[in-house]
Amino acid sequence: MADQGKAGESLLTGLGSSALHAYRVAGALLLTLIAAYRSSSAPGIGAREVCRALTVRQIFYTSFQALSMISVVALFVGATLTAQSEILGGPLQRETTGRVLVTVVVRELAPLITAIIVAGRSGTAIATEIGVMRVNSEILALASLGIDPPRFIVWPRLVSTTVSVPLLTIYFSTMAVLGGFIALFFIDSHAVAEWRSGAVLGLSVIDLPLVLVKTLGLGALVGWVCSYYGFEVGSSPTEVPQKASKAVVQSLIACIIYNAVITMAFYGLLVGGRLQ
Amino acid sequence: MSDNEAPPPVDLLRVDAIAGARLPRRERDREPGLTLDRVDFDYQGHVILAGMDFELERGASAVVTGQNGCGKSTLLYVAAGLLPPRRGTVLHAGNPLGALFPSARVQRGIRVGFVFQEGGLLANLDALSNVSLALRYHYDVLALDETSLMAQAEAALETAQVSRTDWHRQPAHLSFGIRKRLALARALAIKPNFFFFDDPDVGLDPRTAQVTHQILCQLRDDPEVTLFVATNRPQLIERLEVPGYRLSAGQLSSHSGKSSLPPSGSFTRPGA
Repeated sequence: MADQGKAGESLLTGLGSSALHAYRVAGALLLTLIAAYRSSSAPGIGAREVCRALTVRQIFYTSFQALSMISVVALFVGATLTAQSEILGGPLQRETTGRVLVTVVVRELAPLITAIIVAGRSGTAIATEIGVMRVNSEILALASLGIDPPRFIVWPRLVSTTVSVPLLTIYFSTMAVLGGFIALFFIDSHAVAEWRSGAVLGLSVIDLPLVLVKTLGLGALVGWVCSYYGFEVGSSPTEVPQKASKAVVQSLIACIIYNAVITMAFYGLLVGGRLQ
Repeated sequence: MSDNEAPPPVDLLRVDAIAGARLPRRERDREPGLTLDRVDFDYQGHVILAGMDFELERGASAVVTGQNGCGKSTLLYVAAGLLPPRRGTVLHAGNPLGALFPSARVQRGIRVGFVFQEGGLLANLDALSNVSLALRYHYDVLALDETSLMAQAEAALETAQVSRTDWHRQPAHLSFGIRKRLALARALAIKPNFFFFDDPDVGLDPRTAQVTHQILCQLRDDPEVTLFVATNRPQLIERLEVPGYRLSAGQLSSHSGKSSLPPSGSFTRPGA
């Protein structure tokens, strides 16, 4: 009985400690976002110009430099999906195959896989760069020069991932459909016209707000969570890879949960599950 | 005495007397400079500053000494407004720093120059960009155009004797001494009215140390600059001839004996 009591107590202590940690992280995450937003609207023409230039450069790094990777992933995802649909549906379901590909890719796969690629590629870079800046006292040095670290460091990265994920999602969707088209061409070149009409039917105007809300949110999550973990680095260089890894894992989990919640909320509540 | 000349030997026991000799100038300028009002700071329970009260008038200078790890650097960070105190208030020229973004401080005329022990240079920018960054960021507040901005940055690099051949190199490609001078140039570029220097001449060759000492003496003599230096180097303390304080157990106390300084002979005189 005494052992059971101790085990229960230790379980409660563990749960309490985890809840407290989660509460602290949530609070700190929120503060990071508030500080970035507040500092972004602080006065200063020079500050605005410097940060705008930084943001443009960050968007270039996050989106343009990821195009080759996105191309490869999207082409093969599209091709694989088409091949699987062809196996399941056969020649009689070509229109459905095209429709399924476009629907699945545009609504679900493109936003999520793009966010995963951005988190893996740019999220790691964001957390590592900020972590190294922390270790080298660069962030303190910026503050000493009258430069607001949230504005100079967090805001450009947050904006860049928020802008890049929607842009890359559009590109991913296009390349995935192209990949599916190429795959079908090799499977049965005569089926392309039927498949294409199905693909066009798969697109719906209602998808636009969903994809926009999803991609903007996913992009913001990656920039936000990874910046936060970068700032979590203390004074030791060994913390940098630890926090970078944590940043990517946590941002991926956040993205997957956000994606599912938005999909369910959108189709379940807003359109009442009527969309076909 | 010119700053280039070797300073006369100074009795380290008499730092207070030296400080007193410079007091008349301070008496004339009774404007608020750096103020620490009941400041507490700790690292996860390890107390660094305990209810510290400290006042340095505008244009005044001070040196803080103390054993390794006693918190001299942390004191400078807190005093410069880079780390927020757990409790208490830090004021620059009467302005509490807590509620102000770093950029808002510049807009209120508080320009801080801070030289870190390890430089704190931005690794992805070359030397010139490191120095001009703050000027570009605040060009509207400082009323600078592109030409005057670059001229000011170049003047700071020249003052700190950073060779032109190094201006377009990134910090990783510069030697330790040049990086230190570059950090000094960056801090000088904004024409600071509060200057903090953490261990100015640690690890420097005699020439770089000499340059650093000369610049510190110029800052000390500038009535607009409030100078706060953390060092344990008797030679620099002798040369600066400003009030000295010892940090111990979270409190500052005036220098009053050799115990506050490292043993003599632990340093080499530049040019010796």
